Amino acid sequence: MSPPTAAPPAPQPDTPSPLARAGSRVASARMPTYAITGLLVVTVAATAMLQSGFFTAYGLSSTFATILPLATIAVAQTIIVLSGGIDLSIGTIVTLSSAVTVVLMEGDNARLPLAIAAGVAAGAACGLVNGLIVAVLRLQPIVATFATSFMFGGAALLVLPSPGGSASPVLTETYRMVLALIIPVPALLLLILWLVWRILRAHRVGQYLYAVGGSAAASYTSAVPVTRVRVLAYTLGGTVAALAGVALLADSGSGDPFIGNELTLGSIAALVIGGTRLRGGAGGAGGAILGAIVLSLIQGLVFFAGIPTDARELVYGGIMIAAIALAGLLTAGGPRQPGRTA
Amino acid sequence: MDAPPFLRMSGVHKRYGGVTALAGADFAANAGTVHAVLGPNGSGKSTLLKVLTGVVAPDAGDVLLDGRPLRPKSPRDTLAAGVSAVYQELSLIEDFTVVDNLVLGVEPGRFGLRDARAARARALPWLERFAPAFGGRVPVDERVADLDPGERQVVEICKALVRDPRVLVLDEATASLRRRQVEVLFDVVGELRDQGVLVLFITHRLAEITALCDRATIMRGGTDVATVTVGEVPERELVELMSGTPAGAPGAAPAAERAAPEEGAAAPAVLLAVTDLAGPGLNGVSFTIRAGEVLGLGGLQGQGQSELLASLFGAARRTGGRVLLDGAPVHPRSPKQAVRAGLAYVPGNRGGQGLALGRPILENLALPSLGRRALLGVGLSRATEQAAARGVAARIGTTYGSLDDPVSTLSGGNQQKVVVGKWFPTEPVVVLMDDPAKGIDVGAKAEMFAVVRELAESGAAVIVGSSDDRELVEVCDRVLVLFEGRVVDEVQGDRLTEDTLIASAMHITQADVAAARTDDAASHLPDIDHDPVAAEQEQGT
Repeated sequence: MSPPTAAPPAPQPDTPSPLARAGSRVASARMPTYAITGLLVVTVAATAMLQSGFFTAYGLSSTFATILPLATIAVAQTIIVLSGGIDLSIGTIVTLSSAVTVVLMEGDNARLPLAIAAGVAAGAACGLVNGLIVAVLRLQPIVATFATSFMFGGAALLVLPSPGGSASPVLTETYRMVLALIIPVPALLLLILWLVWRILRAHRVGQYLYAVGGSAAASYTSAVPVTRVRVLAYTLGGTVAALAGVALLADSGSGDPFIGNELTLGSIAALVIGGTRLRGGAGGAGGAILGAIVLSLIQGLVFFAGIPTDARELVYGGIMIAAIALAGLLTAGGPRQPGRTA
Repeated sequence: MDAPPFLRMSGVHKRYGGVTALAGADFAANAGTVHAVLGPNGSGKSTLLKVLTGVVAPDAGDVLLDGRPLRPKSPRDTLAAGVSAVYQELSLIEDFTVVDNLVLGVEPGRFGLRDARAARARALPWLERFAPAFGGRVPVDERVADLDPGERQVVEICKALVRDPRVLVLDEATASLRRRQVEVLFDVVGELRDQGVLVLFITHRLAEITALCDRATIMRGGTDVATVTVGEVPERELVELMSGTPAGAPGAAPAAERAAPEEGAAAPAVLLAVTDLAGPGLNGVSFTIRAGEVLGLGGLQGQGQSELLASLFGAARRTGGRVLLDGAPVHPRSPKQAVRAGLAYVPGNRGGQGLALGRPILENLALPSLGRRALLGVGLSRATEQAAARGVAARIGTTYGSLDDPVSTLSGGNQQKVVVGKWFPTEPVVVLMDDPAKGIDVGAKAEMFAVVRELAESGAAVIVGSSDDRELVEVCDRVLVLFEGRVVDEVQGDRLTEDTLIASAMHITQADVAAARTDDAASHLPDIDHDPVAAEQEQGT
């Protein structure tokens, strides 16, 4: 993808040709990508300075081990948000899936495939429930998924009442592996996640996610199966969230009935920083992955910068606001689009 | 014609709440023809075609297409049956490129993976065919959000064509098009007709019907009144069929009785004098209105009526001209300043702009005049608020349970009366109403217009924009006919009939189109005014 040349800002002719107008808008539409790229460079540079051994095999491995679960859940949320929805239960889907997986696995390598399959199926089922409630019963997504978050969180507690259970050794060891001296397995998985997203994007379904999020009414008159697309978005989101649950399990090595609950809002923050529009129809999983990387690195930075423990959350929140504002400013800074003001 | 018609719709009924949109309409049309569907605003022609395209489910009635019953559950079914529509409300995704929009829902590809090259191959022939309508370019990869309204409409048309329709529905598709674009469209429609496609064409522009259509079905009051062969019937007769009154007959015109209320007495004071008012959608409007007068704004829809009212109320930018209110120049830059100057505004979209639906009737009635009763912004007492609200409610004859009930519990007509009545306590000098009776039933409409007349009799001047010509005849003393942001006719006294209004709006269009054919570089190209980017830049400077 060749970056379009930035629009000349200074001389504004009285009547720019339609082509010139289009050119400047294309540039403005890419602004979020510039913003997130800039943020990524800054955070990586800062981390490399503050954290000695960041670019070693071990440093990269542990960094990506932390990033992968957040990036995965951010991708899951992005799929849903693109279609015009939102999922506040996504953190509890992560929790439930990892609980199901760890309980079935019982630290046994032989049960690994079955356990992961069951965890992913649980996540898909949760997503399907959300999708049916939102798209068929037509409840407001934000409150409907808030309510289901208690259902899924409660189910996780029934499956795994207290922290315990252990992941199979193969899972945890593979997750910590570094291939070709420098490529950690979680980084590879992140790349695979992105490639799968690209396939979805090239698929008709991916296009329909954007269409429904852009305008459900226009999609309906264009013969796009709006209800099915919405249900599918939540189901796909739940499935991907389940993968985040497995990644968390592989990272921590043991089960925890609250493990993913706090990640819900982190996933939304990551996709917003990555340039996805909250009301749907614009953005993408690539940005969300970068957003998750930035968020994760900032969290690490606060730790390595030697900020006192009690002040860490305050500083982390402040930096996050700055990052979101930066992304927002760069998006809003472009020329306003016609037809949006009405 | 012995063969059964290609498309037959029979006994189609549709009601929206209390409003009957279609009352047993029948319709038949043949393949390889261009068939116009005509009728005044609200005659049910759009609803009829929405039944055909599956957007609206009829309460009763059958549709037969090529001998097979069509019972669409959604637009998917009708598209599969070969019916494509170009909607008035656009069905485009703004963030998508033109090509992505054209193939939306019918993306070519294998295993669901989209084939970008095949998509372009499907889209390009139509876009190239319409290139003159895009100023010579072929905007395959431009985003729809970056196109101007006319170009978007052309994309919408291309989108319908990409689906290879057997029936193509063009619902007011020419309304936002420039002349060059209309010409290309007409050429294409002619080619489609030769290929055996049935084209259903809704328009208000009489000239387009005679230029393009073979047959015409005239709708009125939710049913079909006649189907004619276009060449065989004089235009005048078409207008008569649409308006329902023979040309020259008085029609529903009580206006003559109240015209010229005082012959000997001095004319009432001019309350509002507007000179060369210009702005978005307005190309120099001038008129005056006197105390006690109800002035109508008529003409085809979207010719600057709403823009004029919004500009007077300070809700739209003014780029030129003068407005004298009671002799003093006013230039409100916000509705708040306009209210302070003595203007009031009644929108047609009562849910969106006129009322706080969830709040009590009391608050809604009291809101615009709060400032008058409040002392230094505070010191409101419930008793004075109630007294004020009760006074208004009595005056407009609203029936309500309790003043504390939410406004949404009132009927549509009563809600609309609240929208008008809440301005009484502010004693407005000029009341601006933008299609105030849109979507309310006939009885409530009459009551609301009684309130309007009372406002005028209390000494205010009232300006009513309306898409319904009958409404204008019934309530107004005088009607200005607008076209492309200018006043092109003024109708009052004996001339103020529905018939005159329709003819006036139509003939202007016709003359204008004829003039434009000979002189393409017409001075008042509407697209310049509608260019949002140009407008925005002006705003910025």
